[in-house]
Amino acid sequence: RPFRSTYYDAQMRAAPALLRARAQYLVKNTLTGAAICATAISIYVYTIRVISQDEFDDVIVPDEPLQRPNTTPTQSLQQAVAAKKQ
Amino acid sequence: MRSSYTCNRCLTLIKSSRPQLRTSSFRPNPQVVPSQRSHSTKSPAVPKKPSTLTTSASQHVSLPRRNLSSTTAYKFDKPFEPYEYVDPEGITRKMVLAEDNLFHPFTNSPIPEIRKRAAFMRQHAYCPHPSHKPTRQPTNPMDLESRKSSETGTPPRHVDFECPDCGIPVYCCEEHWADDYEAHLGVCDIMRQSNEDDHDLRSGRFFKEFEFADPQIEEILVNMTSWDTYLYTRDFDALNEDREMRQATALLTYPMTIASIIHELSPYSIRGEQRLTPEGLKSFSALRHSLHPARTGGGDTFANPRLAPPSIRLFILGARGESSLPRDTWLQLAYLFHRVQFSLYFIGPEAMAGRSHELPFPGALPERTPLNPFGAIVEDRISNAMKISTIVEYYHTIHKTGYFYPYDPYFDCFILFHPGFGNPRSSHEWADTLPLLLETKCPVIATGYSPADMQQDVDALEERFGSEMDILLKPDENLFRSLRWDLNDYDPHDVTCSNWGVYAFRGKRYETTKKEEGEEEKGSERTERSE
Repeated sequence: RPFRSTYYDAQMRAAPALLRARAQYLVKNTLTGAAICATAISIYVYTIRVISQDEFDDVIVPDEPLQRPNTTPTQSLQQAVAAKKQ
Repeated sequence: MRSSYTCNRCLTLIKSSRPQLRTSSFRPNPQVVPSQRSHSTKSPAVPKKPSTLTTSASQHVSLPRRNLSSTTAYKFDKPFEPYEYVDPEGITRKMVLAEDNLFHPFTNSPIPEIRKRAAFMRQHAYCPHPSHKPTRQPTNPMDLESRKSSETGTPPRHVDFECPDCGIPVYCCEEHWADDYEAHLGVCDIMRQSNEDDHDLRSGRFFKEFEFADPQIEEILVNMTSWDTYLYTRDFDALNEDREMRQATALLTYPMTIASIIHELSPYSIRGEQRLTPEGLKSFSALRHSLHPARTGGGDTFANPRLAPPSIRLFILGARGESSLPRDTWLQLAYLFHRVQFSLYFIGPEAMAGRSHELPFPGALPERTPLNPFGAIVEDRISNAMKISTIVEYYHTIHKTGYFYPYDPYFDCFILFHPGFGNPRSSHEWADTLPLLLETKCPVIATGYSPADMQQDVDALEERFGSEMDILLKPDENLFRSLRWDLNDYDPHDVTCSNWGVYAFRGKRYETTKKEEGEEEKGSERTERSE
C-alpha cells in the first residue's frame, strides 16, 4: 500500500495535529512569503518601468502608401525623411 | 401505523394473513425474509415482481414500494452493550464504553473501579466549604483549607454531593456547593475533563496514542518548541483529538521534561526572558558535551571499535509512578540522543510502587549482596542504549556510602519529579538528601504538579539553601507538561498535572581566586563570621 501520512486526512487536507504544529510559524512565514513576493514583484515593476520609458520620436515612420507602391520602401523612407527635414 | 422495524412485505403479509392465523402471524414467511435481504437498501423504487417472491397469501395485495431502508430511523434506545473487537495489533479487546458517552457521574459510572473511587472519596475527602473546621494544614497558598477557621467552624464532613457538571463528589451537601460555586467553577471543567479521561482509559478502546514513534536517523532535527512540533518531527502518528493528546502526553511528559532540558536543541535559552541562566548554560553545556559526542569513526561492528565514554547517569529520586512507566516510554528519551548510553536509576522508598507483579511475591525485593549492595533491580535488556535500575532506599543512605561516587557534572544529572520540598507532608524526607545533592555540583532538575506546588517548593528551597545554590532554570511552566489533569482522591479540588512546572538548580561552586598582595579582606563571610 502506498504511504499515507496520518497528518493528512482522506481528502489530503491538513489534519488538526499538523495545523497545530505549524501554528507557531504561521505569522512569521506569511510575512516572509509576503516579503519575497513583494521583492519579486518590485523587480518586475522596476524593470518594466525603466524600459517602458523609451521614446521613439527619433524614429521616422513613412506614410502609408496610397495605392500600389510605385516606390520601394527605401525610397518612401528617404522621401519621408526629406519631408521631415523641411 | 407502520412499525419502522419491520419490512413492508412482512407487514403486509401479516396483515393479510391475520384473520386466519392469529398465533403464527408474527412469524414471517421464511421464503420472503431471505429475499428481502438481497435487495439493496438504496435501490430505486422498482416494483418487485410478486411472482418470484411470495408464495401463498399475497396475490391480492399490491405491494408498496420500498425506497429507502428504514434502518436509519431505528432508534437505539438500549444502553451501550459491550462488544468484543480485534484491535490493529491483533489482540481481542472488549469495548465497554462508547466514545461519545464518556461522561458519567462517578457514583453511577458503568465502570466498577470508578464507583469504588467515588466511595473512597466519600470516606476520605472533606468538604472544602469555609464554614467547616479545617482538617489539616494548608499545603500550599491556594489551598481551600486556608479559608476555614478552627474557631467558628462546624465539624468537618466528608464529601457527598456530586456536582452535576463534573460528576465528582466535591461538597457535603448541595447548599455548600451552590454557596461555593465560584471557587468550584475554577476547576469544574478541568475535573469534568479528568472524569471523561478516566472513563476513556477504562473504555476498552485501542489506544493508538500509546504507540510511540520508532527511532530515527541522527540527522533529523527534532523541534522541541512544543508538544505538537515534537510529535511531528519525531514522526509520531498524528494525534488529532485533544483527548488523544492528553493521554499520550500524560506518559511522555516524564522523558520529555528531561530531554527538553538536557538536549542541545532545548527550547529554554538564555535569550529573551532568560529562562535558562548563564550558570544553567554552563551546567547543561557540560552535559551536552557528553550527550552529543563528536564522531570518532567508531561503529557497531567489531571492525571499528572505539573506547566509549561512561554512560550518562540520570538519577530519578523520590521515584513513585515514574519507575513503573512502560519501558517504551523511557526509550523515547534514548531515541533523541544518538550514540549515547543511558543509565537510569530510580531511587526512593516507593520506587517499586505498583510494580509488585514483577516480583515473585509482593515485598520480595532482591537481597542485598556484596555485588548488589542495595538490592537493585536491574533491567539491562531493554535496549543497548538504556539500562534501568530500581533501588528501594533513601538516596542519602546510598550517597553516604559513596556507591555512586565520583559524581561528574559531565555525565550525571539528578531529576526529582514532584518532590514536595515545601509540602509539609514530605519536606522532612528531603532534608537529608538536598545538602548532599548540592554537594555533588551536578544539575538537579525538579518539577511541580501545579503552580502553587512548584512555588511552595521553590520558596522552601530558597529559604533553606538560597545562598548555597544557583538556579539553572527559572521556575515556570514546563513546555512538556502533561496536558491531562488528574484527580486527587483525598482532595478532589486539588487537581494535579504531572510536571506542570520545571526548574533546575545546582550547588554553588566556589572558585579560588588569587588574592592581591596587601589587599585586606572586607565584608567577607570568612573573616566576619569568626568574630
